[in-house]
Amino acid sequence: MPGRDEPGFRRQYDAELHLLDRQIVDRDGRPVAKVDDIELAVRADGRLAVAALLCGPGALGPRTGGRPGRWTTAIWRRLRTEEDPQPGRIDAALVTGTDNAVHVSASADELRVDGLERWVRHYVVDRIPGAGHAD
Amino acid sequence: MKKIFAVALGILTAIGGFVDIGDLVTNALVGSRFGLSLAWVVVVGVIGIVVFSEMSGRVAAISGRATFDLVRERLGPRIGLANLLASMGVTFLTFIAEIGGVALAIEIATSVNEVLWVPVVAAALWIVLWRVRFSVLENVFGLVGLALVVFAVALWKLDPDWGALWAQVTSFSPGADNTWTQYCYYAVALFGAALTPYEVFFFSSGGVEEHWGEKDVGTMRLNVFLGFPLGGALSLAVAAVTAVVFLPAGVEVESLSQVPLPVAIALGKIGVAIALLGFFAATFGAACETGLSVGYSIAQFYGWSWGKFVAPRQAARFHAVILLSTLVAVAVLLTTVDPVAVTEYSVVFSALALPLTYLPILVIANDPDYMGERVNGRLANVLGSVYLVVILVVAVAAIPLMILTRGGQ
Repeated sequence: MPGRDEPGFRRQYDAELHLLDRQIVDRDGRPVAKVDDIELAVRADGRLAVAALLCGPGALGPRTGGRPGRWTTAIWRRLRTEEDPQPGRIDAALVTGTDNAVHVSASADELRVDGLERWVRHYVVDRIPGAGHAD
Repeated sequence: MKKIFAVALGILTAIGGFVDIGDLVTNALVGSRFGLSLAWVVVVGVIGIVVFSEMSGRVAAISGRATFDLVRERLGPRIGLANLLASMGVTFLTFIAEIGGVALAIEIATSVNEVLWVPVVAAALWIVLWRVRFSVLENVFGLVGLALVVFAVALWKLDPDWGALWAQVTSFSPGADNTWTQYCYYAVALFGAALTPYEVFFFSSGGVEEHWGEKDVGTMRLNVFLGFPLGGALSLAVAAVTAVVFLPAGVEVESLSQVPLPVAIALGKIGVAIALLGFFAATFGAACETGLSVGYSIAQFYGWSWGKFVAPRQAARFHAVILLSTLVAVAVLLTTVDPVAVTEYSVVFSALALPLTYLPILVIANDPDYMGERVNGRLANVLGSVYLVVILVVAVAAIPLMILTRGGQ
């Protein structure tokens, strides 16, 4: 598949093998999410390019397929407040490099693709003494 | 000097950390019923765990990625999800068994029913997983677990007919009182107990957390090549003392409280105290490892932030999973289910889930994209492939054998 001429992306690569299901790591080296799906765009010259990385159950459900996939998507949809919820989206311009992981130039808090993490942090973990204590 | 100390510590904790409730119960039970005629399975199992731990440790050190992280990349979301559910289910079952094991060990020491201890043990366990440092957890329980060496000392003090024991080892047959299907069923159970999948999840995740690099591969190998076989020797010592004391008397080990009896005969009260301390440390340490492994596998599958090296609020979902699984484990144990029975099922289901864990490791360890020049050598690949066939056969045979023998009866 022809790729895009952006920093971080090689000109040409196999997105299925080198992008999908890879770990996304933020600028501090913390895991953010997996590349659950990708958004493709047609460039001016007619070739396909990766426009964004999609994360979360809303992106993973359709890729899982079958009943487990439908359930994943349905539960995620029900838990969202929006009329037509969209999966978490990381613009391809934020990608700084890919090796064993996909590195992005923002922090996890700025990306805001991990709704469940923030919910659990706010309502559960932060209420337990010692939640801010690292090793 | 400091380096030597660190290596020695690693080996010692690997020995103590190798033995868990599955090894204790299965080896004691098998020793009392089959003598040492199944000892070869422990040897085969230990070689298997060494081969695959070295591989997953090397993958963690070179690629910086833990096992479950890679499972999904190689298997895709659909089969990966099936794999996650199966592996997590088995690890969770083992987690329940370990908590029950700790409670049983305290029951033997205090004569207070284990069900009453379960909430106390679970609360202590959760506090340890929430607050105690990874290195403390690993070293303390690994080192105290070495108290199980008392079983080897007891064997030596019992001074059995060594020739007769060796004859059992080389008999490779179920003996007069048991059938071949029972023999095969317990072979599967021992194999599953030695190779439980959580061990590689925990081992590789720990490596990633401790930021192993290429230079740490040597130390990692020493720990695996020396520590695990010595841990396996401890398991065999447990089987041997029960074979010496219970087999001639025709007594079958059915509860954990019977396991220290041979030590009592050989070494008296002090021996029992040390054995119970060893039980406690081995099962509590394994409860920590399995509890973390449940969190590791789901967090790595979905790409969540995970680990003991960041504050809990930085890995909120990971800690929520650990808290939730601890609560559910307590609920299961409070139904008064027998922890020994849970253990017996957990080791057989482990055997069933083995191919799911070990096939992706073998594939990744051969992928130069992740491993560069540190891909598997010929020896690792030959052993890995042979074991994969063995693991497949064992996994296919596990459930039919369980049904045929009605769970080993």
